[in-house]
Amino acid sequence: MRRVTRREALIELTAAGALLAGCGSGAPVTDSGSTVVSTWTDAMGTGNLERSSGEALLARTELGPAREGAAILTTLAHVTDAHVLDASSPARVPFLDRLGEPFQSTFRPQETLTAQVLAGAVRAIRGLRPDAVIQGGDLIDNAQSNELTWALEAIRGGAVRPASGRLGYYGVQLAENPDPFYYRPDLDAPQHLGLLSRAVRRFISPGLPTPVYPVLGDHDILVAGELAPTDVTRGLAVGEHALWELPRGLELPPGLSLTAGGSPDGPPVPVLVDQFLVQALAGPKVRVPADPARRQLSAHEVVAELRAAARLPADSGLLDYAVDVGRSVRLIVVDLARRAGGSGGRVHPGQADWLSAELDNAGKRWVIVVSHHPLVSSEGGEQLLGVLDGHPRVIAAIAGHIHRNEIIPRPSPAGGYWMITTASLIDYPQQARAIRVLETAGGGVALEMWMLDHVFGGDLGQISRELAYLDAQGGRPRRFSGDRLDRNVTLYRAPARG
Amino acid sequence: MLTAALVVSDSLGRGFDRGVRAADLPDIIVRFDPAPRGRVARRVAALPDVAGFSLRQEATGVFIESGPHSSGSASVEIVGPGRRGYAIVGGRDLTGRPGQVLIERGLATSWGIPLGGTVELADLGAQRVVGFTQSPDDVSYPLAVPRLYLSRTALQARFGTQLDPRVNVAQIWLRDPRNLDEVLVQARATSYGLHGLRFVTRSGVRVLIDQAAGIVIDLLVALSVIALVSAVVMLAASARAEVQRRLRAIGVRRAVGAPRGHLAAAQGLEALLAAVPAATLGVVAGALATYSPTSRLLTLLNEPPPGTGLVGPLLAVWLAAIAIPVLAAAWPAWRAAGRPAVELLAGAELPRRRARASTWGPRAGLGLLGARLAGARRVRLVTTATALGMSCAFILLMLALASALSALETDPRALGKRYQLTAGLPSSEVAHIRQIPGVQAVAPRYEVRAVDSFSLHETIDVIAYPGDHTVFEAPALLSGTRISSPRQAEVGAGLADALGLVPGSTLAIELPSGTELRLRVSGIVGSFDHDGRVAYVPAAALLAADPSASEVLAIRVRPGADVAAVSAALGPVAAPASGAIARGVPLVDTLRSILRAVAIVDGLVCLYALLQTCALTVQERRRTIAVLQALGAAGPAIARLLAGAVLALVVPAAVLGVLLERLVLGPILAKLAAGYAALSLTAGAPEVGAVLGGLALASAAAVAWVAAQSTRGAVVKGLAA
Repeated sequence: MRRVTRREALIELTAAGALLAGCGSGAPVTDSGSTVVSTWTDAMGTGNLERSSGEALLARTELGPAREGAAILTTLAHVTDAHVLDASSPARVPFLDRLGEPFQSTFRPQETLTAQVLAGAVRAIRGLRPDAVIQGGDLIDNAQSNELTWALEAIRGGAVRPASGRLGYYGVQLAENPDPFYYRPDLDAPQHLGLLSRAVRRFISPGLPTPVYPVLGDHDILVAGELAPTDVTRGLAVGEHALWELPRGLELPPGLSLTAGGSPDGPPVPVLVDQFLVQALAGPKVRVPADPARRQLSAHEVVAELRAAARLPADSGLLDYAVDVGRSVRLIVVDLARRAGGSGGRVHPGQADWLSAELDNAGKRWVIVVSHHPLVSSEGGEQLLGVLDGHPRVIAAIAGHIHRNEIIPRPSPAGGYWMITTASLIDYPQQARAIRVLETAGGGVALEMWMLDHVFGGDLGQISRELAYLDAQGGRPRRFSGDRLDRNVTLYRAPARG
Repeated sequence: MLTAALVVSDSLGRGFDRGVRAADLPDIIVRFDPAPRGRVARRVAALPDVAGFSLRQEATGVFIESGPHSSGSASVEIVGPGRRGYAIVGGRDLTGRPGQVLIERGLATSWGIPLGGTVELADLGAQRVVGFTQSPDDVSYPLAVPRLYLSRTALQARFGTQLDPRVNVAQIWLRDPRNLDEVLVQARATSYGLHGLRFVTRSGVRVLIDQAAGIVIDLLVALSVIALVSAVVMLAASARAEVQRRLRAIGVRRAVGAPRGHLAAAQGLEALLAAVPAATLGVVAGALATYSPTSRLLTLLNEPPPGTGLVGPLLAVWLAAIAIPVLAAAWPAWRAAGRPAVELLAGAELPRRRARASTWGPRAGLGLLGARLAGARRVRLVTTATALGMSCAFILLMLALASALSALETDPRALGKRYQLTAGLPSSEVAHIRQIPGVQAVAPRYEVRAVDSFSLHETIDVIAYPGDHTVFEAPALLSGTRISSPRQAEVGAGLADALGLVPGSTLAIELPSGTELRLRVSGIVGSFDHDGRVAYVPAAALLAADPSASEVLAIRVRPGADVAAVSAALGPVAAPASGAIARGVPLVDTLRSILRAVAIVDGLVCLYALLQTCALTVQERRRTIAVLQALGAAGPAIARLLAGAVLALVVPAAVLGVLLERLVLGPILAKLAAGYAALSLTAGAPEVGAVLGGLALASAAAVAWVAAQSTRGAVVKGLAA
């Protein structure tokens, strides 16, 4: 059994106190977040979320017959695309979605509350008491040092103050911003007076006492998930000039389109964003307080910090690794993030061989392969899928990135596996996924899965959820919550062949 | 009066709701420059709370012709499948076959187009009218442009791919209209790339209709209450006098054992026999007199008439009109019959409070005697004088309102403009013009047409003065404060709605020079100009950003000074300041007619009150009058007596009426109307003079008529009463 450190014990104590006090900002949290018990729905379709009864697990038998579970092999949680962001950062380019497709959701009405939502997800996951947590990538939004600090604090537990500059809010949602395209909570409906100042106040996250295994996403290392930090963006991030407006006359180059199954975060042409920034910097700027804590990190730095936080062997290259969770399950984490820019996934040289070797090393363990980018939409992904197709112990390939709950069976001669993506924490439905691996009678395996709603104390978490739901560019109209069979299900897999 | 008030109130007050239900009016209508249907559909579908939407193309300024009539400003909507947003009030909807057109009922009525008739449309030729429509999102022709509907399917069959596939109107229905603000915020946030955006909301239309109709309805209801109170007071007093006259008869019947209830019922039955035909006649006459003009008004407002929904309320009015006189007659009889028969046979007065010692001098003449007689019934005098005074106040208010409404069309000052003239001269001429006799103030007025800085393509009239702009233009301040620093602006309500501005937020506009001007919004003002999309900014800020802003001199003339003389002194460079021509202002004519008609009815109520006062005085003081007649007093003497009684009533009523209107009602209504314009609703000398004159005439008529009636009876009979 793992020993609890003094720091962890202190955080546990603080978290318990915060739990009782509702984080000092509202009623105590009594909700587990399990959507089996209850969840948030808009039954009337009016745009107002209300508590409703939970969703029981439905059986999916495309890859094997339903059998009774004999033993729990492990319990996991998959939390992805938290996009913890510094909403006051001058390096944000929140206006790009105005150019239309393929730019989407570069501004979100709930974007000041990402750290709180992550802390709310952490609280829900604690209730699950998992053996391990998969942090599925895009933990942060803009490759900034302060964003990573806040996100890791929320996961580790302790005090988080998601503010930069003079520790206030200096973003586009200020009431004095005349731009009618941004939601300004002090003015616009639904009106939340004082939300911006509350969003940058310190709060306590209970933290996760279990191991958290990180996956690297494009937003973790790229500016806006697109652009490798340049001198221009680095200067912008720590400086005092923010870009709030679309440069006049800027047009999207003709013919630009997303790749199939691409990212909701932007196009795969990094030079495009760089060009925008150069043009925008020549236009009107807004003065904000400078802050060196907004320093943009290199991919090496991010990988190193994530490895250190997860107590993984130091390596500043790819964030590829394999870990065993319990005696019967192995996680293989694949890093598909592009270092040079671009939001889409790409298989790096040598990864297929490395994956194949790790699969062989798994022995009789069931294997879950995790990446941030879905393999099917990543460049070279077919190569990895081919490797997985041939391995009888692979039961799931889990990803994030597309912000959508989705479960697709992938039959193969070796028995097949489930291709699973989990919704993001930034867009509606702002959920994480609980995963319980069970051995079934006859030697098969089942994956019990259900979604977890975040449960941040007070009303900030709920405000974020409601704003995310209203967002006309967000997860509601784009059906990110998926269908009923993409959420609370038991996925059966026949015994391994061969 | 009650029936008229009921018909008008019900028709106007609930007409919009009826129209919304009948037409299935959308919650939001968005107009924009033509855009691809698919792009608009995706954005609308992504909004929260959307129950349904339909996209259509609207062509404006279309030439149409039917018989001798024609218009070059018609609006033609090309509708596809889905919800319509209009009601078919005659004929049928479009079927998709070529050659069919729907027209608004107002247009059909105005031009006399029957079902099956034809309308010639530019480029399309003759189209057969298959149905009439109503949709209360706008007023109807001739108050607004003619509106017609064509089928997209039919046009596609005819023109194929030549038909413009783009749309410029989106009608959106919400599941829960209470979420309208949230939906609008999201609609604005996702409207990037759509230009010329205009949002019309059902609740916004409702506010406009309610404010316009609400004034009329409130006045009518208040007037009905006054009429009702007056009628109750008068009927009660009349019944009391009648019972007083019959006291001996009642005493005899009580002496021979008639039950008290029987006597009261007999009195009530007598009133019932008179009240039933009177109430029936009154209700039918009131309904007939008002239903037709109200229905015409509703057609202009694109709202359906109430129809059978009025039967219930009319029945209630009919019952009330019967019950009031019956109760008013039965109650004093019931009280009188409760007294000992001996007292009744002795001709005792009905119980009343002890009269106070008279303060009138012994040398008072007949007029003062009349006033004493009226003052003897203090409660009645106060009640009647109050009712009369309120009637006067309402008449004054309606006359003032009618004048103010006229001013909306003709007098720019009503819309906040305080200057009467402009002169196309440079600002260096200011000192020179100030020397012209009659000129109170003169200053350069700068105006440019700008657009918003966010590619919404909202055009904005930017107006600037070097100093305090309220000296020359003071549109009503709806919220916030006036400009108090060089970096502030006041914006019109229409602009505030379009850009989501509130006091404290920042206005960002792009001037014709290409320069952007950013100013803090200090206040929101009500203005008809350019649909409220105006901004008042300090001249220094405007000129710094755009030195080429057009300049004229605004000239304010002293009160009482001759504008024409000032204009003549300025020469050909002078031009009169124009009033705002706002859409819907022609409706003012109709409202003005209704207000004046109601004022006349109110005047009739006053006349009734005065007649009743005289008649009651005569009825109650028959013996006194008979004594005077026996002593040789002729008709004129009786008239002086009655005049005294009427003056005791009219003088305080007139004072009360004028004070009430000038100090209470006028200012309150002007405040309510501040959302539209700066209306002065304080009655002026002409209105006050007209009302006082009318009151004097009504008093004279009442006195003359009752005096003539009272001198016809035998003196002996009066002495025996």
